[in-house]
Amino acid sequence: MDDRRRNTGRQMLDEIEGDENTILIRRTLRSGQKFYYNGNVVVMGDVNPGAEVVATGNVIVMGQMRGMVHAGAEGDESATVMAFRLQPTQLRIANHITRPPDGEVADSSAPEIARIKNGVVTIENYPART
Amino acid sequence: MGEVIVVTSGKGGVGKTTTTANLGTGLAQLGYKVALVDADIGLRNLDVVLGLENRIVYDITDVTGGHCRLRQALIKDKRYEGLFLLPAAQTKDKTAVSPDQMKVLCGDLSQEFDYVIIDCPAGIEQGFRNAIAGADKAIVVTTPEVSAVRDADRIIGLLEAAELREPKLIINRVRQKMVAAGDMMNIDDIIDILAIDLLGVVPEDEMVIITTNRGEAVIQDDRSRSGMAFRNIVRRITGEQVPLLNLEEGGLFSKIRRFIGLK
Ligand SMILES: Nc1ncnc2c1ncn2[C@@H]1O[C@H](COP(=O)(O)OP(=O)(O)OP(=O)(O)O)[C@@H](O)[C@H]1O
Ligand SMILES: [Mg+2]
Repeated sequence: MDDRRRNTGRQMLDEIEGDENTILIRRTLRSGQKFYYNGNVVVMGDVNPGAEVVATGNVIVMGQMRGMVHAGAEGDESATVMAFRLQPTQLRIANHITRPPDGEVADSSAPEIARIKNGVVTIENYPART
Repeated sequence: MGEVIVVTSGKGGVGKTTTTANLGTGLAQLGYKVALVDADIGLRNLDVVLGLENRIVYDITDVTGGHCRLRQALIKDKRYEGLFLLPAAQTKDKTAVSPDQMKVLCGDLSQEFDYVIIDCPAGIEQGFRNAIAGADKAIVVTTPEVSAVRDADRIIGLLEAAELREPKLIINRVRQKMVAAGDMMNIDDIIDILAIDLLGVVPEDEMVIITTNRGEAVIQDDRSRSGMAFRNIVRRITGEQVPLLNLEEGGLFSKIRRFIGLK
């Protein structure tokens, strides 16, 4: 009983990161607007084409991500980008740079997460469909 | 106190001057006193569009520079009692006027006119800053092209930063056939990105070019579709609730949730 509680506690400490800064943007970022932050960024709105979000940590967009996004901008390969609709013109994590294939309309109909898996940027549904 | 409305776009050639001339003419037709200000200094053409070029004696820089009184520089329209134009200077550049001077000028005009409509130059530099300085409201004009919408988005961001909240959108030069065929951005796609209220949709119409070349506004033409679209926009500006023109059977505007007046 005691042991289990201690385990849960330790596990939670791994999952809750309290030592990083997180900032909340309560609006849509429009073309020409660039946002840089040393930490995690949460956007409550859209990131429009021509706008940029750059974070040293994770980026979460509670709307449509259609601009340029760079997570882990100082090299953190464990950084992720999550969006309600992930259709970026370009997506970067650490020093990996990706873009949608030419001629393919970046379509997205569910929340997705981008992260580096086995050295490549991978995009999956979030939460993962079972 | 009248309302000061700036008509802006970012991208050039999308129809700011056409819109300014038509809204001014339409409001004057309804009996309002309207002053149109050409803030496109160095590239003036609102006077040409209104057919008033040959009456210019003084221009906006003469007023802000104190060389004449405001009343002397205002040109009365040929057709409508309540319509006046403050022309831009042709031989000076955009730095000939400052944002503070524009604020004073717009304040003075709004004492005497019900509506002051400012025709903004393209771009996001000094000319744009001047044009928006004295405005209380903004109308953003775009065409259904990716580059024009991108620039409109940039402009909306700059307007918001300048505390000109809740700008309204006019989508100009829409070609129904191309939209229906999926070859042109549709209204829903544009509103989805810009997320501002739609004031109206103006179709591509050769009557715009024909009337403009005669120094007239298409809104004076009762039969043209673009004239009808501008008349509806005018009514929305005065606070009336007017449904969107159904330009095309088959629900082009099916998903549109928002259309409201400027008030
Ligand atoms: N709905 C329309 N249908 C057809 N032609 C149009 C329409 N609206 C505008 N035009 C034409 O497009 C051209 C550009 O319009 P206008 O001068 O109003 O644009 P503008 O935004 O003021 O340009 P600038 O940025 O150079 O000041 C003009 O020749 C005009 O007659
Ligand atoms: Mg113009």
